[in-house]
Amino acid sequence: MKYNRTEISDKIGFSSVIDPKFKTNLLTVRFITSLGKETVSANALGIGILSDANGRLKTIAELSERLSSLYGASVSCFSRKRGDLQILGFSSSWINGRYALDGENLDEEMSQIIKDCIFYPNAENGEFDGELFRIAKKELLDRIDAELNNKRAYAISKAEEIAFRGEPAELSETGSREDAEKVTSADAYGAYLNILKTSQIEIIYVSSEENNALKDMFTEEFSKLERKPNEYVFRSKSPVKPDAEVFSEEMDVRQCKMVMTFKSGSDDRFALQMMSMIYGATPVSKLFANVREKMSLCYYCASRFSAVKNFLMVDSGVEKSNIEKAKNEILNQLDEIIKGNISDEEMQSALLSLDNAYNAVGDTPSSYSSWYFERFCDGEILTPQELFKNYSSITKARIIQAASTLKLDSIYYMLNKEAE
Amino acid sequence: MEKNIITSERTGDRIIHVKHDSGLDIYICEMPGYSTIEALFGTKYGSVNTMFKMAEDKEYTVVPEGIAHFLEHKLFENEDCDVFELYAKTGASGNAFTSFDKTAYLFSCTKNYKESLKILLDFVQAPYFTQATVDKEQGIIGQEIQMTNDNPEWRVFFNMLRCMYHNHPVKIDIAGTVESIAQINADLLYKCYYTFYNLNNMVLSVAGNVNADEVLAVCDECLKKCEDKGLETVFSDEPDSIVQAEITEKQPVGASIFNIGYKCVPAGGRERLLKVMAASVAADMLSDPSTEMYQKLLKDGVINSSFGTEIFTGDGYFTVIFSGESNRPEIIRDTVSAEIDRIINEGTDEKLFQRIKKSTYGSLIRELNNVEAVANLMMNSHMEGISPYDTIQVLSDLTSADVLDFIKNELRKDRLVMSVIEGTV
Repeated sequence: MKYNRTEISDKIGFSSVIDPKFKTNLLTVRFITSLGKETVSANALGIGILSDANGRLKTIAELSERLSSLYGASVSCFSRKRGDLQILGFSSSWINGRYALDGENLDEEMSQIIKDCIFYPNAENGEFDGELFRIAKKELLDRIDAELNNKRAYAISKAEEIAFRGEPAELSETGSREDAEKVTSADAYGAYLNILKTSQIEIIYVSSEENNALKDMFTEEFSKLERKPNEYVFRSKSPVKPDAEVFSEEMDVRQCKMVMTFKSGSDDRFALQMMSMIYGATPVSKLFANVREKMSLCYYCASRFSAVKNFLMVDSGVEKSNIEKAKNEILNQLDEIIKGNISDEEMQSALLSLDNAYNAVGDTPSSYSSWYFERFCDGEILTPQELFKNYSSITKARIIQAASTLKLDSIYYMLNKEAE
Repeated sequence: MEKNIITSERTGDRIIHVKHDSGLDIYICEMPGYSTIEALFGTKYGSVNTMFKMAEDKEYTVVPEGIAHFLEHKLFENEDCDVFELYAKTGASGNAFTSFDKTAYLFSCTKNYKESLKILLDFVQAPYFTQATVDKEQGIIGQEIQMTNDNPEWRVFFNMLRCMYHNHPVKIDIAGTVESIAQINADLLYKCYYTFYNLNNMVLSVAGNVNADEVLAVCDECLKKCEDKGLETVFSDEPDSIVQAEITEKQPVGASIFNIGYKCVPAGGRERLLKVMAASVAADMLSDPSTEMYQKLLKDGVINSSFGTEIFTGDGYFTVIFSGESNRPEIIRDTVSAEIDRIINEGTDEKLFQRIKKSTYGSLIRELNNVEAVANLMMNSHMEGISPYDTIQVLSDLTSADVLDFIKNELRKDRLVMSVIEGTV
């Protein structure tokens, strides 16, 4: 594998990851911008419309027809939240030209489509095409409405809203329905132009072969734009609430959800990550082994640590009659770690599990893309093996110290109406 | 044991197949450059297999619904410890799943794969059930059933199957019901285990950063020879007709969802593969964003990008499903139905057919780019009685006349079912 990143303009990076084993190519352009109530929905719409059509293939039907004839090549867009930042993405994937049945030059065709989507969208007079915008806006509102369909994901989203109240990270990656409804076509287009101007941009291309033409295309197109990129902070600790906040809502569900958020002021993110592995991130973790298997209090009960906001979340699916017992046992297992009840086997298993996860990076084009983007955000480009070294020297004392900095910030409950 | 090399003419990829002396079929795909190893040890035993006998038995045995899934859970515990604890020592990530027609135990790892493979082969061949552990598992699975009942995608799908199938057990939830799993005991689990976990009914699939000889050496060491006892599974007679055309359930969802399904005549082996490819291309042609039908539904706000299709098939069942979010699913049902009539009268669009074929070919190439997908491809192909790379060849031979025949014969209005989950909030 060959990795190379060059800055093709001020705060625009182009990385290529060349690995001969792949049969497909993946290009992802990530625009990094701040997350704000006034802009989040317009940004999501402004980016979301790019993969529907462009100035040359002006309708969804035309672009779709072209892509399916290129062996099901895809273009897609996303809006994601990363702490207090909004990451807006344009992604495209296509098979390597050596598998084309009719000898088409797929790289050239896809480069043109990508260029048209990003730099020449179907817009004029300061707004996106009316029909395209109407469809894209309905799509966004439908996505927001559908959040409730997945109860576990919805519960996590609500827990984050409560935990990060007053911070940008309280927002969802698309904004609320009310915010999205207000966005006009001109707002969305203006938001996109602003993204092109002010965001930091990371372009990552993963393929079996170099594609300098693609890099040249981006260099040339961005040179035509007036840029005034902002500086962004990639990690921002969230202050813990003086008293843990409890928020509950009732729904017509059979299984209740409980999401507990803990926050830490510690800078030892590697120890916190490893502590989370021991606590609840694997099938031999304390939460899985005790709360689920031994005590049968939850169907699922898992922890996840995020260094971006320095928080640890435990989400669980639980019967209403067991909620209090489950909560107490989740807290008790944290106490066990703080008391130093960590076995050598637990340490070893956490390390092996992390080692396994890091070694698997690079087995899919998307894993390479995510890895190198995250390392860019970290400010240091490391290989998975280099990053793993930060874990291999962690002692039990560091894990105990890291765990003792975790404070309960908030609890979200989704309760079952029928159990009343 | 003879190594049979299966090669993809299109990509040059190759798979090694061995019929092991123990009775097990083994597929290995060495994938240079990859770090991951994915191994699947699967049996042709899923939730639909509730009635079976061996050649020596006079009567068929009928077992409670959900027992295949229950057995999968229980096999993860051996006499001394949990299997997860064994994998924790090698760093592998272990898991298992039960579907309608198969149960598979798997791990993925990047190191120590021979040790992890030994764990996999050993624990699946060493059942240990007691009434106490069975009783405990009933609580855990009961919670899993509760959780899936809150999943609208799951509900809309099973409601559709219940409208479609009179007798076939595919309409039964994979995990069974709280009542059905209460009938499960250790003896029944052993009975099912020794019936379906015979190596002649199983397959091992290993892909990624492996050496075939090393894999086979571990197999030689761990596999216990099984006598083929002539397993027979049967299903109750299933009429071609549907049970009812429509069902709606209310749930706390933000977006209403639908499954519109056509009940088709089932097929097996290579015939099923031909039918799946024709069905898949037909469904993609009907739902392609470039078509007038799709554009009208989209512009009228009836569908969004969640609109998609699926071919769902196995022993004794075959359905073509259109699914997505919509507040007006009846318009989608009527529009799809009218479009099928139009195609039957006017014929298929040859350009669209060629595009969909190319697009499907692209997705098959993508599949070969992924260790997990290759491991699953090998296991699934074996269980379906086909060769792993057959799909590309069958697609290549597919004509628009085949697709038109499928649409004419199988997408019938009298076998059309619509299932909807509407919001209560």
